[in-house]
Parts: sequence; structure tokens; C-alpha cells
Amino acid sequence: MLQFDFFAWLAGIPEWIYGIIQWIYGIVSFIFYWVYDLFRWIWATIFLPSNFMFLFRAIIFPGLIFVVMALIWAVWFTRKLWGRIQDRRGPVHLGKYGGLQLFADAIKLIAKETIIPDNARRWMFRFLPGLLLVVVLLPFAFIPWDLEYWFIADLSVSLVLVFAFLTAVPVISLLAGWVSGSKYSLIGGFRAANNQFAAEIPLIISTIGPALLAGSLSLMGIAAAQSSIWFAVLLPINLATFLVAAIASVGIFPFDAPVADSEIIFGWRTEFTGIHFTLTYFAEFAEQMLYSALIVTLFLGGPIGPLTGPLAGPVNFVLKFLITFFFFVLVSSSFQRLRQDQIVHYCWKYLLPLALLNIILIMLAIVYIPGIAALLPLGGG
Amino acid sequence: MSDSSTTNASTFGRLVINKIPEVTSNPLGDNRIELVVPANKIRDVVTLIDEEIQDVLPESMFGVDLENDQYELIYIFWSYTSRLLLQLRVSLEGEKPEIESTCDIFPGLEWHEREVREMFGIEVKNHPDPRLLLLPDELDGAYPMRKRFQTDRSRLNETGITPPKPRPEPGGDSQ
Amino acid sequence: MSPDILEDAMELWFGPQHVSAHGWATKLTLVGDYVVECDPNAGYFHRSAEKVLEYKNFRQGALILERMCMLEAFLAEYPYVAAVEKIAEIEVPERAKVMRTIMMEMSRLHSIQFWWGQFNAELGFFTMALWPWVDREYSLDAFEELTGSRHTVSYSTPGGVKYDFTEKSMKQLNRALDRFEDRLPKFRDMQMGSPTFRARTENIGLYDVKQGLKWGLSGPPMKACGIPMDLRKDDPDPNLAYDMVDWEVPITENPEHPGQSDALDRMEQRFAEAETACEIIKQLIPQIPEGPIIDPKARGKANRLPEGEAYARVEGTRGITTLWLKTQDKAQTAYRAKIRGPCIASYYALKDLVPGSKFADFIVIFGSLDPYPGWWDR
Repeated sequence: MLQFDFFAWLAGIPEWIYGIIQWIYGIVSFIFYWVYDLFRWIWATIFLPSNFMFLFRAIIFPGLIFVVMALIWAVWFTRKLWGRIQDRRGPVHLGKYGGLQLFADAIKLIAKETIIPDNARRWMFRFLPGLLLVVVLLPFAFIPWDLEYWFIADLSVSLVLVFAFLTAVPVISLLAGWVSGSKYSLIGGFRAANNQFAAEIPLIISTIGPALLAGSLSLMGIAAAQSSIWFAVLLPINLATFLVAAIASVGIFPFDAPVADSEIIFGWRTEFTGIHFTLTYFAEFAEQMLYSALIVTLFLGGPIGPLTGPLAGPVNFVLKFLITFFFFVLVSSSFQRLRQDQIVHYCWKYLLPLALLNIILIMLAIVYIPGIAALLPLGGG
Repeated sequence: MSDSSTTNASTFGRLVINKIPEVTSNPLGDNRIELVVPANKIRDVVTLIDEEIQDVLPESMFGVDLENDQYELIYIFWSYTSRLLLQLRVSLEGEKPEIESTCDIFPGLEWHEREVREMFGIEVKNHPDPRLLLLPDELDGAYPMRKRFQTDRSRLNETGITPPKPRPEPGGDSQ
Repeated sequence: MSPDILEDAMELWFGPQHVSAHGWATKLTLVGDYVVECDPNAGYFHRSAEKVLEYKNFRQGALILERMCMLEAFLAEYPYVAAVEKIAEIEVPERAKVMRTIMMEMSRLHSIQFWWGQFNAELGFFTMALWPWVDREYSLDAFEELTGSRHTVSYSTPGGVKYDFTEKSMKQLNRALDRFEDRLPKFRDMQMGSPTFRARTENIGLYDVKQGLKWGLSGPPMKACGIPMDLRKDDPDPNLAYDMVDWEVPITENPEHPGQSDALDRMEQRFAEAETACEIIKQLIPQIPEGPIIDPKARGKANRLPEGEAYARVEGTRGITTLWLKTQDKAQTAYRAKIRGPCIASYYALKDLVPGSKFADFIVIFGSLDPYPGWWDR
């Protein structure tokens, strides 16, 4: 017979309370250990010295923030230099020598209303400018700012990868022109594609020279191969053809047919306003910087240079980078704009044979002049 | 003349009158001449100018409203080697007078003819492109260069342009 | 034009909101990169100046005329003043004649400096666009010192000119001229020696004399074909002092295509025009005679004009600029004033000149003819 035993029930209470406490303890300890593990994982990922420094390099010093700061500087430098060349003063009012002007412009542009035309494909129109900037910023991960420590990633095919990213730029430009729903944008998009069509082959042929001499497709490898002689000495014509083809590929003066403002307003960027315009505008400068960095890596010895000591690699690289970027601005401010058919004509008829010629010449030189081969990593043998 | 490089004003006037006797000439001095041309002969005279003077330039062509449905058309031609200025004067009459187009002889006159048509209501026959040149579509048929087109607000309804909103009373509520 | 080509055609409105199209719009029909049809449209800048002139008295009229072309304001206002003087039979003092001529050439110089920069901007060369504009500032300073206004000078008035030269304005004028003459050869080397400039302009927009005359073209676009067609020599205004100067009509002859002109020739012609303008001013400055700058009776005479017709013509920067004026007896306002701007012909010429060329060359052809919308819309 089952009867309610009051005393047995009374004796069961502590056990019941104990059970609840145990249950709560289980939950708490589970959460505690989960959080603890999380912290341990975060600690292990970020704050362990080796990992921390990798993230530091990727995000802060030769990585994203450094590149963005350099981008802001490049815009200021371009405007100032253009101003000086054109008998103007350039930005002067904000900050020392107008250094803060770009921040003011960026804040103004970002704060402006974003106007999307009725004919535009709305989501693509919003998405493409951001994608463009990301695509242009990604290859900076492979730039050998330093051979020992201050670099982000070393990939055995990074040269190919960089050009794979850069090939996407005109595609995005064409798409951006297409989805804008404006005839001027569409013409500009096709002109951007045309520019790449003209410039890409001489551009890549010009990089064959350094890759061949270094025996490597990695940017790090190519930079390291120039420890005894810069490839600019052996491949001077390739340096010139690469510079011209790079300018044509970016689409700045005199190859700025894609954004020729007197003909097609602003090309594929016509309809972009506010933040979208800011992103495309930054992407153009980022692309110029990227090509400058590639020239330094491929032809000017990368981080190998006059200075020695701690941080000498990045400092050397940045110094050479400044000079190269200066040439970009100089060339772009001294010529009339070319027509698209003339761009193709120049790139294919002059740049391509010249680029090939230099490679053939250096091959013959390696074979017939014994001193040269000794300077190269795969040479002397 | 076509064989000599320069053309004298009075010689040319005589030549035109010999060929087209309805034309009368009126010297303006200084190698300038005015030919008064009947409206139905304008094409003949302009063709003659084109044939006889080598380097003739169609300088201008415009209408003048003389009121009471009287109009004048003035064509001006200039030849720089002979330094000859030709002024053709055509008198027209009627509510909507008509004139033959001459812009197949001198393409430069095409726009002047379009302007005469829209501003004075002088119909240009056989004109290849009879659109409005300067005026907006609302003013088609208003002929604003006619003297009777007043520029005050009395004709606002006729032009079809929206009149400006009346100003709110000062101090009152501005509904 | 076969219809199957036009099936792929794209109609493109070049203007009126285009950055290069300041007050005009042209409908282009493109097949691929080629323009197959060009339809220039006028009327975006129309201010009915001819009607307004029928309501303004004879001293106010010149101010309306200036607004037709701000870049050559003095040249634009002068035909009206000359026509009024012809009807009213006003004598102009010698000093005013010379000063008018100096101002006219200065106005031409300024207009060419502006065009030069603008053309280079249209070609996408902003360095060369801004350098002439620096010199243009000096010309504007000279205008400002003399007349108090930088663009719309409103300097001439029936019977003479409004302001006399002072020592300071003379200094500014000489400064502008010296600077320009100093920089002109350098600029010419830079411009004509630039391979990209030659590539963009050679054999672009080619037409011959006969075609140009049919369209009614005049001025630099015709002189670039090699014919000395200049009203300053051919039909000199009696109230200007071009006969006091020893000068030649600047022409450009290209041996590669005689009797024709392309965009490159027209650029070279503008250089020659600017040089001639400088030379004329330099010769006139020492010859300025003493005397009054305005006929004291002119003000009364210009208040009410007798019945008459006058046709005043002047060689503008862009070509023949004329004004036909008809007045009634004791008129306070014009009965009919017809402005003939030079650019109505050069803008119309695009209709025949552009089809067949590449789209990118359209703006080069347009810029080399230098049309200003105020002149055709009025």
C-alpha cells in the first residue's frame, strides 16, 4: 500500500536541493569552460607572440591600415603634385599643406546622399564599388615589403595570383557601367575593358622577364633574386613597357579613355555618387599604388636597397615606391588623352614587341656574356 | 564673274538684272549693293549668286516685321576676294507668307530659315528640317518676333507658359 | 546609310547635361565607335536678345550684346555701337578709335587664351589647360583695372569709350602682354611638339574652303585653310584704327592638305591669331593720340536716332560678327536688330563634318571649331 510518508519526503528535500545545485553547477561550469576555452582559443590565436605578429602584419603595418593610410597619402600627393605641375597650389587649407583635405573630402562624399538611378540594377550597383576596392586591395598581401619579417604572405605563384586579381578590375568596371543603366556608363565600361585588352598582354609579357631571371613566380622570390643586381639594369625596356602598360591598365591620363570626362562624362563612374564614388575613386589610386609596388618588386630590387639595419627592408621599399609613384603622376600629367583605338595600337604595336625584344636580348646576354649569369640565382651554376 | 577672281558690285547687279528683269538694284556704296527681289524669284537669284561668285559666303538671313502683315526678308552674302557685300531684300505680305527654301544651295542658311519660320511665321517651302530651332514647344505658332507679340503678361495665356504664382499677402497667411 | 547598319545604332544625347556641353545638346547616332548621324540642337541658351533689344535704348543695348559671348565681350558689344554710330552719324575721336582697337585685340587675346585651355581640357590635358588660364588671369586683371569688370567690360559707348587709360591700367596691360609673349613660344613647342596631341588632331575634322564657305564658316576655321579672309583688312570699320598698324592677316597653310584644314591647323591658326593680336596692341600703344575719349554730342545724338538701316561688321575671335539695325524716325529703341554670331555656322557644320568620325573625335572637332552657344542661341 502506497502511503504518503511525510518524514521520508522531508528527508528527501536536501537530496532534491543538492540535485538542483548540481544541475546549476553543471550549467555554470559548462558556460565557464566554454568561455574559458574561447578565451584560450582567442589568446592562442591572437596574443601568442607568433600569431599576434602575423595579425599585426596583416592588419596594421604592411597590411590593411598601412595601405589605406598610404592610399590617403597618395591621393594627397597626386593632387598636390598635379597642382604644382599645373601652376596651382593644390589643397592648402586643411592641415599642414592641405594634408587633411582628403579626410574632409571623404567625410563630405560619404555623408552625401547616395543616388541610384531608376534604370540601375540596385543590388549590383551597391555591391560592385566595394568589391572593386576589395579586389584591388587584396594583392597587397603578396607584396614583399621585407624579405625576412615584415611581409604578410609568401605564395609560390603570387605573381600569377596578383594578375588574376587585377584582371577582375575591368570586368567589375564593365559590370558597373552596365548595371548603371546609362549609355555613357556602358560606353565607359566597354572602354575600360578595351584598355585592359590593350594593356594586359604587354603588361604580363613584361613580367616574364623578371620571373624568368629569378626562376620563380613568387614575388618574394623575384625580390630575393635581385640581391646582386636589380632587374632594372638587365631589363630596362621591360621596366618602361611595364610602366606604360600599367598606366594604360589603370586608366589614368593619358590612357583615361574609360573615364574621359569631356567625352563620356565620367565613363563607368558617371552614375556613382557619395560612398560609391569614393570607393571607386580610392580603387583607382589603390591600383596605381599596386602597380608602383609591383614595379619596385619586379625591377627595383624590392626591399633590397641602399639602407641597412632594423626595418631597412620596408624603408627601402617605401622609398623606391615613392619615386615610382612620382613617375606615375608625372607621366599622367604630361600627355593628351589617347583615343581607344590608339591605345590598342600603341600597346600592341610598340609595347608588346619591345617587351619581347628585351627578354630575347637578356637571354642572349646570359648565354654569351659569362659575367651576367653569375649575378643571377640560377645563373652561374 | 566666274572667269575673273573679283566681282564688282554694280557689274554684278547689272548681270542679275539682265538675267532676271524683275529684280531692281539699289547701291549702298563701298562695293555694297542691295537687290530687291520678288518672292518668287529668290531661288533664281540665289542660284545665280552661287554660280557667278566663286567664294560667296551666306552671311545672314533674317526677317523684319513691318506690321500690318507686311514682312521683309533680308539675305546677306559676302565675298572676301572681291570684298563685295550683297543684300537681297524680299517683300512678303499676308498672315502667313511663304518663301522658297534656299538651303540646298547654301546649307548655311538652313538654320536661319528655321529661325525665320518659328519667329515670324514665314513658311519656308521645301525645307528639309522644319523643326523649331530656338523656341520651346509651347511657343510653336506664337511667332514671338512679330511686333504684335507683346512681351508683357497680357499674352501669357496664349503662350501656354504657366504664369508665376501670385505672391502671398504680406503678413497674412500664405495659403 | 543602309537600314541594317542603323539597326545596331545607339542614340546618344551629347548634352545638355554633359560636362563638355555648356548650353548645347547634340544628338549623335553611334554604330560601334563611329558617329553615323549628328544632329546639333540649338535653343538651350536662348535669351531672346533680339526681342530684348527692341525694348532697350541705344546705350543699354550694348550691355545686352555683351552677354552673347562673355569671352569676347568687347567684340560682341562693338557691332551694336558701330551700327548706332552709323545711323546717328556720330564722329568718334581719334583717341577712342585707337583705344577701341587695343581693347578689341585684348578681347580677342583673352578669348583665344580661354579657348586654348578649354580645348586642351577637352583633349584631356589639364596641365596645358591651366597654363594658358594663368595668363588669362593677367588679361582679366588688365580688363578689371581699365573698366572695373573682368568679363563684361561694357567699354564702348556711342561716340567713343567710357574710361580712359590710366598709368596703372597701362601697366597691367603691358604686364599681360609681356607675360603672354614670353610664354607663347614655349607653349607652342609644348603643344605642337606633343606626339599625343598630333595623334589626336591630325586629319580630324577635315574640310575644304568650298565646304566651309557653304556652311558660312569664317574667321580662324577658314583662315586655317590658308585663305586670308579677315574683315579687319577686307571691310575695315571706319571707327577702328587697324590702318595705323602694319600687320598681315595670319593664315595657316598645311602642305599636306592644301586648301583644307584639320584640328591641328586650327590650333596653329589660333597661335598665329594670338601673336597678331599681341603685335597689333604693341604697335598701337605708343601711337595713342592725345585728345578726348568721347564725342560730347554723342550722348544727345544716341538718345533719339533718325530712320535708317545700318549693317555693322567686325572680325570676331570666332569669325564674322555682325549686327543689322533698323530704326524708325526719332526712335528711342531699335525697330529690329539682328545679331549674326559666327558660331551659328560652325555649330551647324558639325552636322556634315562629324558623321564618319569616331565618337571620341566628336569633341575634338567641336572644340577645334570653337563654337560658343551664346552666338547661335542669342
